Formats: sequence, structure tokens, C-alpha cells
Amino acid sequence: MRNVIEAALATVAAFLVFTLLGRISASLVLVVNVFSVLVVYYAVLKGEIFGAVLGSACGLIQDSFSLGVFGVGGLSKTVLGFLAGYISRKIHVVPFFRNLVFIFILGILELAIWLGLYSFIFSERPLMRNGLILIQPIVTALLGSLSLYLQRRIQSRKN
Amino acid sequence: MPLFENDKKNFVIFAALIIIQMILISIQVPVGSGRSHFKSAVFAVFSPLQRGAAGFARNVSDAWHDYFDLRGIRAENQKMKKEVFFLRQENKLLKDAVGFSRDSRKFEESLGRLDRSFVVARVIGVDAGNYFKSVTINKGTRDGVTNNLAVCDRKGNLVGRTIEPVSPKEACVQLVTDNDCGVSVVSDTDKIVGILSGDGQGHCRLNYVVATTRGGAVGENLLTTGFDRIYPAGLKVGKILDISEESSLFKRILVEPSFTFSELDQVAVILANLQDSF
Repeated sequence: MRNVIEAALATVAAFLVFTLLGRISASLVLVVNVFSVLVVYYAVLKGEIFGAVLGSACGLIQDSFSLGVFGVGGLSKTVLGFLAGYISRKIHVVPFFRNLVFIFILGILELAIWLGLYSFIFSERPLMRNGLILIQPIVTALLGSLSLYLQRRIQSRKN
Repeated sequence: MPLFENDKKNFVIFAALIIIQMILISIQVPVGSGRSHFKSAVFAVFSPLQRGAAGFARNVSDAWHDYFDLRGIRAENQKMKKEVFFLRQENKLLKDAVGFSRDSRKFEESLGRLDRSFVVARVIGVDAGNYFKSVTINKGTRDGVTNNLAVCDRKGNLVGRTIEPVSPKEACVQLVTDNDCGVSVVSDTDKIVGILSGDGQGHCRLNYVVATTRGGAVGENLLTTGFDRIYPAGLKVGKILDISEESSLFKRILVEPSFTFSELDQVAVILANLQDSF
């Protein structure tokens, strides 16, 4: 129960960050996907089911503040959450650099699913802004691996 | 084996989640065929948070700017006084001009209706998928905002229209730069009529202008016609950027929208059709 409350509060915080980024500059929303960082973080820590459910919730919140089909973001983030939790349980991704590469690959996969579904359903070109959106997996990987690194440091100090 | 069993259970849950999302997507395709109540509910829950965060950011930014603005306040005050003087004169002349051609009592009634004909709102959020598609504003049904109302920027240029979801204190605005938007427009010089829609990349296209149509030049302004019964006639929408005549039936006309996305902070929602007042 504590985990669920913690994740719910983190989701609200991610939504607030998303709003603030949008107010600073709309392009920042393209580059920094706060919800993806949150999903990867919790999926690695709590497992694939937690990641998939949180991915669904975060994706649907993101879709609620976007025109068009409700569920495209939900689906891509569900896959992201599940794979992040499942693979991190099967292979050792704790070291910072390995974690960075791991999240970067997942970020590319999530973006590919989202772009694919978006183009297929809407039959239109997604907003690329001269390839700015392609930076998103790098930023997700950096923020995700950094937050997991910090979490491990804090945890080891407590112990 | 127990580990495998656990994996199997997890994969079943994952598959169930994927199927739910697929069903959610498929009931809405083709796009626009139905409105999701679930989406409206999530919007209603989270939009007040967005409103709070945007308000906080604005207050911090205002406090910072106020400090620097104090320096140039005297010069700006003088400039604004001068501007108000000219606007008053212009307003008086316009009132007189309309008053001559109308019965004075009816004219006063029309002016009274104009007083509450629009609501000023602030943009509190951008579209999470493509920011040229929609924005969220901080006015909703409590302020008289419903869907299908025209929205203009500070200078009176058309920004878009309100669409569902509209919650009591927040509403979604579909921008003219969205692909699914459709505005009936006419060019101000050659009177070319067409349907304007966005390209989802920050520009618009003027559609259904037959290749044999004469006139139309780069730089011409496009104004709403009011034929669509959503947007009042005469609002400035954009300027023709490029015209190319391909071998197809219609001309390919690229339009630059009149509003600037980065300056989209305060907007006006037009509650009544001003055309009906005069």
C-alpha cells in the first residue's frame, strides 16, 4: 500500500513538473518526458507489474492532456514499464553506465511504439521539431539512471 | 519452476493491460467518432493541479519581472496614457458611426450584450503529444465556457476553438494549427474562399481552392467567413506564405497563422457571436 501511495504522489509530482516545463517552453515537453523517467524508475525498483500498471496510468494521464486517441501513450508506457522491470530482473543493470544504455534502448523502443501508433492512427507526421523529439530517449536515460543512482546511494547510506 | 510460474502470471497481467489499451484505442477509431468519459474524468481530476502549478509559476515569474519593470514604469505609463487617449477617441468615433445607422435604443442593447460577450483566460498547459494541437485554459463551464466557442489572442487573431473536455474551471482549446481543425476563411484582397486546417507542425494549409481559381497572392491575409457557424466572421487567421500549383485538382497553399505560439499566454473566449449584436 505504501508503494502505491508513494507512486501516486510521484505521479502527481511528475504531472506538476510536466506543467511547469510546458509553461517555460513547449519544446521542453518534447525533450523531457517526465512520465517515462518515473515509469522506468519504479519499474526497475518494484518490478514489471508495478511498472506496467504505473506505465498505463501515466500514459493515460498524458493522453488526457492531448488531442486525439486516448490510449496511445498508455500502451507505449505499459510496454516500457513492463520491459524495464522484467529485463532489469533478468540482467544486471545496476552500474551507472550499463543502466544508462539500458534505459536509452527502452526509451528508443517507447518512442518508436508511440511514433508508430501515432502515424498509423492519425495518418499524419508527428511533431519532430527538427529532430528535437529524438533527444527524448537520451534525456530519459540520463534522468532515469541518475535518479536510480541517487536512490541506491541514499539506500546504502541508510543501511 | 515457481519462477517460471511467476513470469507466466506477470505476462498474463501485461497482456491484459495491453488488450485494455487496444480496446480503448479501437473504440475511438476513426478519430473523433466518440468522446471518452474516462478521458474527461482524468482531465477533470488533473486539470486543477495544472491550474495550480501554472499559477505558481506565473506568480514567481511576475514577482521577478515586476522588480525589473519598475525601472521603466514611468515611460511605459506615459505611453499607455497616450494609447488609451487614442483608443477612447477611436471608440467614440466607432460608436457614433454605428449609432447613426441604428435605432439608439437597440444600439444600447447591443452594446450591453457586448459587455459580457467574452471571457479572458490564461493558458495553463500545452498538449502532451503535439503542442501545436491544443492548449488548456483556466476558464470552464462556471465562467460560461462551453465547447465550440472561438478563442482569440491578445491582438484579436484567431487561435482556435474550445472543445471537449470542458470542466467547471478548465477547458481545452483546439488550435488552428491542428490537422483536424477546419475554419472557413476568405482572403482579404482576392476573396478566395477555402477551408483552413493546420499541418501539425506550426503552419496551416488552405484547402479546397480549385487550381483554376484566379487570384490569391503571397502575403494576403485570411479572415474568417462565419459560414462554419463556430467562428465569428472577420477574425484574422493568417497570412499566405506560399502557393504552389501542382497537377492536382486543388492549389497547395501554405499559411502562417496570425497568432504566435510562444506568446500565447492570455486569450479571449468569445461567448456570443458578435455578428448577431450588430
